[in-house]
Amino acid sequence: MHIPDAFIPIWQGAIYWIIALVFIALALKWARNEMNEEKLPLVAVLAAGIFALQSFNLPVSMGTSGHLVGGALAAIILGSPFAAIFILTLVLIVQAVLFGDGGITTLGTNIINMGVIGGFVGFYTFRGLMGVSKNMPVSVFFAAWLACLIPALCCAVEMFVAGTFPLMEGLVAMGIYHAIIGVIEGFVTVAAVYLIATARPDLIDSGVVAPAGA
Amino acid sequence: MMDNKTFIIAGIVIALAIGGIAVFFASGDPDGLESTALVVQGQKELTGSTPEDAELHEETDGRFSYTAPMPDYALGDEMGPTGGIIAIVAGTFIAFVVVMGIAYGLKKAGKPVK
Repeated sequence: MHIPDAFIPIWQGAIYWIIALVFIALALKWARNEMNEEKLPLVAVLAAGIFALQSFNLPVSMGTSGHLVGGALAAIILGSPFAAIFILTLVLIVQAVLFGDGGITTLGTNIINMGVIGGFVGFYTFRGLMGVSKNMPVSVFFAAWLACLIPALCCAVEMFVAGTFPLMEGLVAMGIYHAIIGVIEGFVTVAAVYLIATARPDLIDSGVVAPAGA
Repeated sequence: MMDNKTFIIAGIVIALAIGGIAVFFASGDPDGLESTALVVQGQKELTGSTPEDAELHEETDGRFSYTAPMPDYALGDEMGPTGGIIAIVAGTFIAFVVVMGIAYGLKKAGKPVK
């Protein structure tokens, strides 16, 4: 759901950019406080992995393809929505500037959708479900699924405001496609969390193995 | 438990493997946002396949336009899959280095002055 420059008027893109900058500042503050010699490689490896995963478009039927976004993954593993904003912001900048995936004036919007909304939805869905179900894979799966679907619906609303899509048609199509793409996001995120938790249990946030508050 | 060096190498190898497979097996179908745009523009049925000749109409009037050095994760048709692999490898390393660099810089800057 990388929005290209052509889909949003420049002035609206500027508004989203300003909002995005506030969250980027908070994410930088998070990085400054949380980063240590041990966590640094994990964060950088996650960014490389999320970049690679995002380049892999899988067919999701109905003439559509989709790829992982990674917001939930980063937020769950590192235990903060700001981790997702930090990593996704940098990955999205690389994608837009070097690969033309997503626009420049729309980069702020993309950071809000995939980093901010994806990160917050993924993180708090995970925390909530983990508290209720105590089941890590199920909580991760639904957190990742929602972290794909909700930003897509927000994107549809932004497209409506931009005059690019009609509201209902956009919501229905974006919703259906990303509900399916989200299933991929869910499975891959569960697999990635397992892999990292097995390789380096010390690096991941304690909320992943023990339910919040436990 | 893996040490940091092994973890970084293993992580990058996995990332590169995923990216490499992607060059050959990634679906050429439009993504969710582009598909929605095609549906809205009447070029595609909501649940139908994407027609071969479907072309996204993009508003360019008064919109910013930018041409990236490696558009669509490739280096042009003549380079084919090789170009794709170069683009993905470059992107994966750049993502790693950029995040590592900025995180490291922030950590340095964040150290309390004694």
